[in-house]
Amino acid sequence: MREQTSFINIYIVIPAYNEEKVLGDVIRQIRKEGYKNIIVIDDGSEDKTFSLAKAENVCVLRHIINCGEGAAIKTGIEAAKILGAKYIITFDADDQHDPKEIRFITRKLKEGFDVVLGSRMINKNKIPFSRKIAIKLGNFFTWFLFGVWVSDSQSGFRGYSEKAFSKINIKNSHYEYSSEIIREIGKYKLKYCEIPINIRYTYYSMHKKHGQSFINGIKTLARLAVLSD
Amino acid sequence: MTIPLNLFQASIILLSLYFIIDRLKKYFSKERSQSLFKLTATIGIWFGVLVFGAIPSLARKVSLFLGLGENLNTLIFLGFIIVFMILFKFVGIFENIEKNITEIVRKEALKGLFENTTINKQKTKK
Repeated sequence: MREQTSFINIYIVIPAYNEEKVLGDVIRQIRKEGYKNIIVIDDGSEDKTFSLAKAENVCVLRHIINCGEGAAIKTGIEAAKILGAKYIITFDADDQHDPKEIRFITRKLKEGFDVVLGSRMINKNKIPFSRKIAIKLGNFFTWFLFGVWVSDSQSGFRGYSEKAFSKINIKNSHYEYSSEIIREIGKYKLKYCEIPINIRYTYYSMHKKHGQSFINGIKTLARLAVLSD
Repeated sequence: MTIPLNLFQASIILLSLYFIIDRLKKYFSKERSQSLFKLTATIGIWFGVLVFGAIPSLARKVSLFLGLGENLNTLIFLGFIIVFMILFKFVGIFENIEKNITEIVRKEALKGLFENTTINKQKTKK
């Protein structure tokens, strides 16, 4: 019972784009762990993402056009603020993250950390070689541009305290928002930590059309370098 | 003083004059989206094209003055600088437009949530 009441102010924000195949299952897994405050942001999906999320009886918001993961995360955070969140956890919609690990993030947030970053690089995860290189390059350029070193600058599994989500202002709409968060941590001197997370690279998540790819990585880097403040 | 011109140079001069006159007409007839900046930029660029088209040897004098190489290199170099400046300007404009569109889309997405939350709070107060 005490555990349930402590979940009241925890909001799980899930940005989703064309995830009809796995989203329902992801929501049910999260709910099974006791988290009822789930906000799904349908980022202009062309499939049944919106209706499937609605059928799960969670808060679903819809972007009328596809704006990017960063934009969807920001919308989700704004929604969680309106609903009175004290802690916000962002969670990927493609079933790569394990909902059982949400409690590790909330534990760190309750210990006083402003931002908790889930890192795929701490545990011995079976990460494809190309993805590992992309993560390391992302880490290097994030450090080079913003001066903060983390072991996984591109992870979508993160937790934010009220102080963090009221200060952090995401300006970029696409994948570069991940590095932007790292910049904001340095800018506002937020107390952060990294925790190991497990990652499930399924055939589905690795072959999504709109997922991270080498070309998208180059575009992300270009946007960060040219357009970062 | 006569400036010998070939057909190519004459075409460049006429084209430049056309753009300058066209821009002046639009500006003085106070058409929408005209500004002093656009007028100045257009006249600056096309007058430059006109002058170098009419007196190509001037490019050599400019390049010597600036310490650069051949005439054409000077013009190409200057052209690249101008093109890059314009490109960066466009990138900034497109990014601003994208941000504004995203903001509108977000407000639309949050509208229902905000209204429902306000109604619920009012019901609780009653």
